[in-house]
Amino acid sequence: MQLQKPNKKFQRYLAMTTLCAGLFAAMPSAHAANWLMLQGTEPADNAARAKVWGFIQPMYSKDFSNGFAGKYVPPKLVGPSLDSQSSFNILRARIGVRGTGFPLDSKVNYFILTEFGNNAITNGGHYGSYKPYLSDASVTLNYIKGARVRLGLFKYPGSEEGLQGIAAFPYIGYTSVTNQMLLERFPTNGETNIAPQTVPNADMNAFSAPAGAFRDVGAQVFDAFDVGNWEHTYAVMLGNGHGMQMTDNNSSKDLYLYWSSAYLFDKSAKGPFRPSLKMFTWYQSGKRTDAYDKTQEQERKRYGVGVSYLKKPFRVSAEYMVGKGMIFQGAQNPQRMFNNNKAAGGYVEGGYFIPNTKFELDLRYDTYKRNKGILKGPTPEAKFNTWTAGVNYHFNKKTRFTLDYSIRKDSSVFTPVNNQLKDVKGLLALQVTAVF
Amino acid sequence: MIHLSRITPIALLLAASLATSGLAQANPNAESVAAAIQAKPFAQTRVALQISDGGAGKQTLVLNVAHNLLKFYGQDKIDLEIVAFGPGLRLLFKGNANSQRIQELAASGVRFSACENTIKAMSKKLGHPPELNPIARIVPAGIVRMVELNKAGFFVARP
Repeated sequence: MQLQKPNKKFQRYLAMTTLCAGLFAAMPSAHAANWLMLQGTEPADNAARAKVWGFIQPMYSKDFSNGFAGKYVPPKLVGPSLDSQSSFNILRARIGVRGTGFPLDSKVNYFILTEFGNNAITNGGHYGSYKPYLSDASVTLNYIKGARVRLGLFKYPGSEEGLQGIAAFPYIGYTSVTNQMLLERFPTNGETNIAPQTVPNADMNAFSAPAGAFRDVGAQVFDAFDVGNWEHTYAVMLGNGHGMQMTDNNSSKDLYLYWSSAYLFDKSAKGPFRPSLKMFTWYQSGKRTDAYDKTQEQERKRYGVGVSYLKKPFRVSAEYMVGKGMIFQGAQNPQRMFNNNKAAGGYVEGGYFIPNTKFELDLRYDTYKRNKGILKGPTPEAKFNTWTAGVNYHFNKKTRFTLDYSIRKDSSVFTPVNNQLKDVKGLLALQVTAVF
Repeated sequence: MIHLSRITPIALLLAASLATSGLAQANPNAESVAAAIQAKPFAQTRVALQISDGGAGKQTLVLNVAHNLLKFYGQDKIDLEIVAFGPGLRLLFKGNANSQRIQELAASGVRFSACENTIKAMSKKLGHPPELNPIARIVPAGIVRMVELNKAGFFVARP
């Protein structure tokens, strides 16, 4: 019953997809030109059989928030352990292999990546333990013009902030809307809410399962088409809706839709820093089984629009996103995840690459309102507004140092929650990203 | 319930796409070295470039070298041939990511030769002949072509 609805939708979108494929099949695509293509495909007939690659991100962060009545909540603590207000960490340490297994037939590509860093994927928190995790394992079949097929575990088509490669992400932390509304957490039966704690020995991460990391296991049909200086990209995907966990926990499948149209200032340029103006929109919907009452299911919807502009020395991007159902209530509150609440938020950010230097200046404003319209109770309306100023120093094309300072202003309409949020203050973060 | 009437057109389209994507196209044989030289009587410099590696870096390098030679000598003053064999034949596969650059070089007078021995060997592995870029011309053996070009006065290089 739950499977039938997405299937019917999927048939309609598959038909549209095939029609588009027919219309665009004669047009050559720009190949590695956007995140879906960069991550999902290899350059035709010259990709390596096995290219080893990855990146490491050692970092330090310091939170300047004050406690309330001597106790602290997760926004005032350094993740993913959420036990203190300052810490060195290896945020990400990933190594993987990608390529075309049989070089004479480059129509088959593969991509595998593992995560050894300490973050919401690997850190088991209060109820679990650190576990390295397989973050990507996919095969792409490029046999059908206009309808490439990607199967396995990979980043689903969606928000630019989640979809982009982390090695190219100019900031250290995600925006509040992405971190809370899009980066999905999966409660496990037995995990209970944790009350505010004292530092330096807090332990407030109540989620033991790996965060979704904008990934899912499923099948995606996608491709990109050039029309003059424009490149249009589409994707349709069905997935388990269970993040990086490899099997489904219910019969419902998540539906993902994506479209982008990008104006290419330089068609010969390739890679993540290709000069372009891109507009995009995306939609996701699915159901989640209540971990604490498996007879109950909760619908989860997310959708958004955005734009990005990159032509050095300038970069500007903005997104607006909306969510309904499964609204995250903080890393200490797994039992409040299964809700039908509404949320929305977005960001505007820009970067300036100082000419003839290795410096890049960045500024981002993001806002997020969760539990819209709920005035009291366990999940009251709350607002999160953040300004982040940052600087990147690029040692070379693959190694950079990032310094970010965030000024946060959080609040809630409900006094008990507001008491904890009103003293959320500055956050300093320093990080080196080394890609190999 | 999934209706067959809905699926049939989709299935037919997909099948047609699959079928057309696997079609092979025969490429003509290359002209002899002597004929190639006659076709460019005013060339003051003659260069043969070998590509026998399949990696992206080598492909880019050999195309860059060809571009730089054309730029330095001028397309009317140079006779340039790229000979692909072994794993290097991937450069001349029809869907190669560098097809646009190859097309541009060919339009500037660069010849692209594909080794027939390699095509035969790859055909055995693939189960069918590899589909080549239409601008590729077949030579019986890539290495023999290099020798013949060298004997005819071409400067031979393997970037």
